[in-house]
Amino acid sequence: MEPTKANAKKSILAYLLPPALWLGAWQLGAFWVERAVEGRGNELLLPYPASVLAALMELLPSGAFWATVGATLLRVAVGLAAGIFLGTLLAGVTCSWVWLHRLLSPAIRIVRATPVASFILLVLLWTGRNTVPAVISALMVLPVVWENLVRGIQAADPQLLELAQAYRFSRWKTLRLIYLPSLRPYFLSAVITSTGLAWKSGVAAEAICWPRPGIGTQIYNTKLYLEIPSLFAWTAVVVALSLVLERLLRLALGRWKGGGGDD
Amino acid sequence: MIELSHLEFSYGDRRVLSDFSLTLPVQGITALQGPSGCGKTTLLRLLAGLERPQSGTISGIVPGTGAILFQENRLLPWRTVKQHITDVLPRERQDEAARWLELVELEDEVHTLPASLSGGMGRRLALGRCLALGGSVYLLDEPFAGVDPERTRRILTRIRGLGTPVVLTSHQASVLELADRVISLDGPPLHRL
Repeated sequence: MEPTKANAKKSILAYLLPPALWLGAWQLGAFWVERAVEGRGNELLLPYPASVLAALMELLPSGAFWATVGATLLRVAVGLAAGIFLGTLLAGVTCSWVWLHRLLSPAIRIVRATPVASFILLVLLWTGRNTVPAVISALMVLPVVWENLVRGIQAADPQLLELAQAYRFSRWKTLRLIYLPSLRPYFLSAVITSTGLAWKSGVAAEAICWPRPGIGTQIYNTKLYLEIPSLFAWTAVVVALSLVLERLLRLALGRWKGGGGDD
Repeated sequence: MIELSHLEFSYGDRRVLSDFSLTLPVQGITALQGPSGCGKTTLLRLLAGLERPQSGTISGIVPGTGAILFQENRLLPWRTVKQHITDVLPRERQDEAARWLELVELEDEVHTLPASLSGGMGRRLALGRCLALGGSVYLLDEPFAGVDPERTRRILTRIRGLGTPVVLTSHQASVLELADRVISLDGPPLHRL
């Protein structure tokens, strides 16, 4: 066998083996549950992978499914973008003015520590149910982005900052040539963590507020009607969407080398 | 003439300069030599306006008008060799980059990033950037560390041709030989014409 083909087979195996093992464990678990309850409703506790796949296949061709996915994706994306924007803005201002840091950092820390359920109910009282998921996603993302970026700004190399001062760089040039490239790993890490958070909190908000259409609303309905394979199917959809969005953001940010400007 | 009179300077509890006075001519190449820790770097930083003496006066130089080459290269890992030069040049002088790269013999490394440069090349890039920045005086801290003696002589001769006064620190014989005067900081000042 040619070495390249052998390597390709190895890498395919490395990708497929872990999910296959987990799927096998799930299948065994479902089998064990069925035996334990002696066939009396094992699908309520742990459905077989095949049942979940069947539920997913039932969902996929329907237009309502795509409208639901689109609506949730839009809410989460808006919340994520708003959280990243506000977190970045606040990191910039709190690092520029000490008094603003003193004023805002306790508030941001409180936002981070507050249970998401409290926020969901409060925001539901203040705004419409369709707005809650985006607001909640933004509120969960903001402190993560803020904290990462503040840490990144504080970690900027003091020798390079002194160089910028001695070489008479403008504030804009110092930001472009020193701060932004130094911040890149912090920003990347913040965005990746935030994507998962935005999905989790956004869908949790939908499950409590029932906006229509919405994945969280569908998840709530599966609980009402005890359609556990559908619950697993919708969960799989959320996980897949989160991974796709995270991958896209990684690709987009991977192109950003920092430092900007040509020769 | 740059006049330093009765300077006192400490980093915390560590006294670096005590009642220190010196006169530096503002022409040609002036080399400062002395053992490590005698205050050469501090002196350049004071002349560049990056530090302020606790007492004493500095006259004959406006703080912030000189171009300092730091003891460390302080290169930006994400900028290419050429970008390091263009970053310090105003918009209307961007086409001068090639000239400065030739001066420090880095014209073949235009698109190279600092991580791929040798120690000596990195030093020459930092030097080229400082020279391109320009100023009333060049304040160069160990400008040829890691650079071979022959290349050091060539580059230093070109720097002399720029006409801007240079105050530098060095331990290298090849640098001290080419200086117009050498001032020793560990004893009575030596003057070489």
